[in-house]
Amino acid sequence: MIVSRHSRIDSVAHFLRWVVFVAVALLVNFPILSTVLTSFKTNADINAYPPKWIFSPTLEHYRAVLASPNVNYSHYIMNSIVIATLGTIFAIVLTLPAAYAMVRQGVGRTWLLPIITNLRALPLIIFAIPFYFMYKQVGLLDTRIGLALISCIINIPIALVMFVGFVQDVPRELDDAAKIDGASMWKTLWHVVLPLSRPVMLAVFLLSFIYSWNEFLFGLILTTKNAVPVTVGATFFVTSRGIEWGPTAAAMTIGILPPLILGLFAYPYIGKSMLAGAVKG
Amino acid sequence: MSYASFETKEQASARALLVPLCLFMGALLGFPTLINLWYSFSDVSFQNMIGSFVGIDNYVAAVTNPKMWQALRFSLQFAVICTTIEVGAALILVFILHPLLVKRPWMTAILMLPMMVSPALMGVMYRLILNEFTGAVPVYLEMMGYAVNFLGRGSIYKTVVAIEVLQWTPFAFLILLTARQTVSYELEEAAAVDGATGFRSTFHILLPMMKPALVIVIFVRFIDSFRVFDHIYVLTGGGPGNLTTSISIYIYKLFFVQNTLGEAVAVSILLLLMSLTLIVVAMRLVVRRS
Repeated sequence: MIVSRHSRIDSVAHFLRWVVFVAVALLVNFPILSTVLTSFKTNADINAYPPKWIFSPTLEHYRAVLASPNVNYSHYIMNSIVIATLGTIFAIVLTLPAAYAMVRQGVGRTWLLPIITNLRALPLIIFAIPFYFMYKQVGLLDTRIGLALISCIINIPIALVMFVGFVQDVPRELDDAAKIDGASMWKTLWHVVLPLSRPVMLAVFLLSFIYSWNEFLFGLILTTKNAVPVTVGATFFVTSRGIEWGPTAAAMTIGILPPLILGLFAYPYIGKSMLAGAVKG
Repeated sequence: MSYASFETKEQASARALLVPLCLFMGALLGFPTLINLWYSFSDVSFQNMIGSFVGIDNYVAAVTNPKMWQALRFSLQFAVICTTIEVGAALILVFILHPLLVKRPWMTAILMLPMMVSPALMGVMYRLILNEFTGAVPVYLEMMGYAVNFLGRGSIYKTVVAIEVLQWTPFAFLILLTARQTVSYELEEAAAVDGATGFRSTFHILLPMMKPALVIVIFVRFIDSFRVFDHIYVLTGGGPGNLTTSISIYIYKLFFVQNTLGEAVAVSILLLLMSLTLIVVAMRLVVRRS
């Protein structure tokens, strides 16, 4: 008797949880859903009243975007891919050895680690103006490498925190065994730590790639034509000659797709990396 | 003796591993900060990129400009409002949805999608769906008899807040959910055996255990909303007037629109000092708590 009443309350609660989930999922994802659907509609369907949710899809806007004479969107996509990849690799190369040295020898742990982890709390606009002038002087304005350096800076804190957490979990005995065999620190890092780091490396790569891809401020300030990333390039569809709905929606969809897909795999690491920073930083 | 020298050799090679990172950070963050400092005391311009010393003129211009205080106020208010709603909503949702999500990670993934999107592109997408004439949201509201111009002067503030909240509540939710899931089952079961159920166990056991995560979420969301730029820039450019000009947009406008470089840099330095103060205070609080 009591059991059945309990189970009925449970199943009602279960149902209500589902209702909340569906409502929240639709609410927060509505712009994504709506934009993706719009990108596959014909112009007639876009202007239909009331809005159509079922329609026969077309790829005309994607063709228009990628062949647009005014906006070189495929070039911007390539820019974003190169910038995010390079920036991510730079960040990994710089932080993994540093994390190893910090954890195993305690070098810089008390000052450098907190300084770098707190960097992500600074408003980036502070550095926008000096970067503009610096880049102008050395010819890095509007270059992919210039923006890759920025995305590296942006990703160093999170990469360092995640690698520090990883090295802490590597059993010290493995290092000591290598040391007894006469391996130097560099060799231990290369032959012992690096092979073990593949899972965390993947996590750092995913997060760093997503954050780099989504960067907007420096793309806006430091590029004009050659190195324009997708986030900035997509806004060109809006500002030039009013809004063309179909092509804009197609450009948006292309621009959000890579981080959305990577995010499906990366999201658990975001939670972990944030909480790890708190305990260890 | 030999052990000691071995140890120092280890230390030395460890330091060598740090050198690239330090050099990189010094060159790409230390150096620009120094440039900023010098510029803030000089009459730098696009024509004269070195400038000459003018004392504290730029700082005087910065703090006597009421628009800076307006922008600062916007950012602070925006950050407080957004953080409060996001963390509050996320906390409630964690307690509602946790039992549902615990064995279904793909459902969590669906809720995480918004925060993977670039805030700038999110802004553009909202611009599309909130458009007065063809946007999906106003069209439906009109069918229900409401006429709301989301991007008009009257509601733009609420709109930029709502967009920030809708995009980043999932982030707060994820961190709190992660914290909630690491609270061990043993502990919960122990609480159940002791007769603490429902709200009691929530408030006396779960919340205190989630407190570190809460502090982090509040800090990260506050900082992030305080420096907001992307979605507001593509949606309103800081307008109408200065209604939605955050401190980041204000500096951008001083520099790229009005070309008052010295003042822009002075505001940057002031912002840097404020942020550093905030970080130090926050760190102190966290350290004292734990």
